[in-house]
Amino acid sequence: MLPMARPVIAGALARPQLALCLRPQSIAALSTSTVKSATALERQTPTGQSLSASGKLRTEVPLGSQEKKEGAMQYALTTLDQIANWARQSSLWPMTFGLACCAVEMMHLSTPRYDQDRLGIIFRASPRQSDVMIVAGTLTNKMAPALRQVYDQMPDPRWVVSMGSCANGGGYYHYSYSVVRGCDRIVPVDVYVPGCPPTSEALMYGIFQLQKKMRHTRITRMWYRR
Amino acid sequence: MSTILRTLRNLRRVGLKDYAHQMQNIGDTKAGTLIGTDRWGNKYYENMAEELPLRTRWVDYKTNWPEWEPSQIEPGWHAWISYLVDAPPTADKLLQAGTRHFEAPEHRPNLTQTRAAFRTYSTTRPKYSAWTPVAAPR
Repeated sequence: MLPMARPVIAGALARPQLALCLRPQSIAALSTSTVKSATALERQTPTGQSLSASGKLRTEVPLGSQEKKEGAMQYALTTLDQIANWARQSSLWPMTFGLACCAVEMMHLSTPRYDQDRLGIIFRASPRQSDVMIVAGTLTNKMAPALRQVYDQMPDPRWVVSMGSCANGGGYYHYSYSVVRGCDRIVPVDVYVPGCPPTSEALMYGIFQLQKKMRHTRITRMWYRR
Repeated sequence: MSTILRTLRNLRRVGLKDYAHQMQNIGDTKAGTLIGTDRWGNKYYENMAEELPLRTRWVDYKTNWPEWEPSQIEPGWHAWISYLVDAPPTADKLLQAGTRHFEAPEHRPNLTQTRAAFRTYSTTRPKYSAWTPVAAPR
């Protein structure tokens, strides 16, 4: 073990000495820490094409703002998408899956101070009439089949908001014998709201992010592309 | 939270164009003094005398509805608009963004669900390699 470790240490010590022997450089060049710039990871083929971190050829994708609409069909479908997305994002009906203390913050969201009704959010007790499931709290192994069943009962399109540390990744109970380490092991999650518990403002911001996701969903445009 | 008289009074002060702009964005008609503009172009207003508490400071986002969001507010202005400080960052030497060495040169908003969002990646070699099982003929 020790003889193997020795040449590694010697090599690490040799590097700054080498840098000192060269001509005067900036302080940053003399640093012993590793290079952290984004281009340090970039590799290139012999012909000069840049490679991604996984070794494949880099493909340059235009930004969303750089994409242009072509033809009347895309304009029409964009308008259709906007109408559908407007309807979706302005009447979210969440299925409340309140499991722990996060549910109290979720209740605060419905009280007059934050007033979710002005956003068109009405809590539904039935999964068959709801669009969004807010998983608020610790998801235990015992509750996991029920969560999956409730999710399967929801009609498409459906979204899931994971609220709080426990639902995101187990949180405080990550090493417990009886807790699912994140509800994304059971259902696909759209928005993760961090916090223990997240404040009502944080949950509301998460809902705004979900609305942003709905707003940018290209429903009919993706269908047309296929 | 508005009476007809208040709406008309503020409409007379801000003008028809700003009235339409405010109804599109904040859904209320408000008149106040322009405190400052940040580097992105958000405008910050204040009316301490007439507005209700916690509604006395507001922002007119540079980004158009509905793409604006509170993370586009710079940290110093966020402190001001959240009533952490009394003076706006234009009047406070310490709060002027970018003057301290640990500050980022420019403010980055929340990039979630855009193409610039962070995605995890690994730069280490995988610790195991998969193999294709071959069944020996019997």
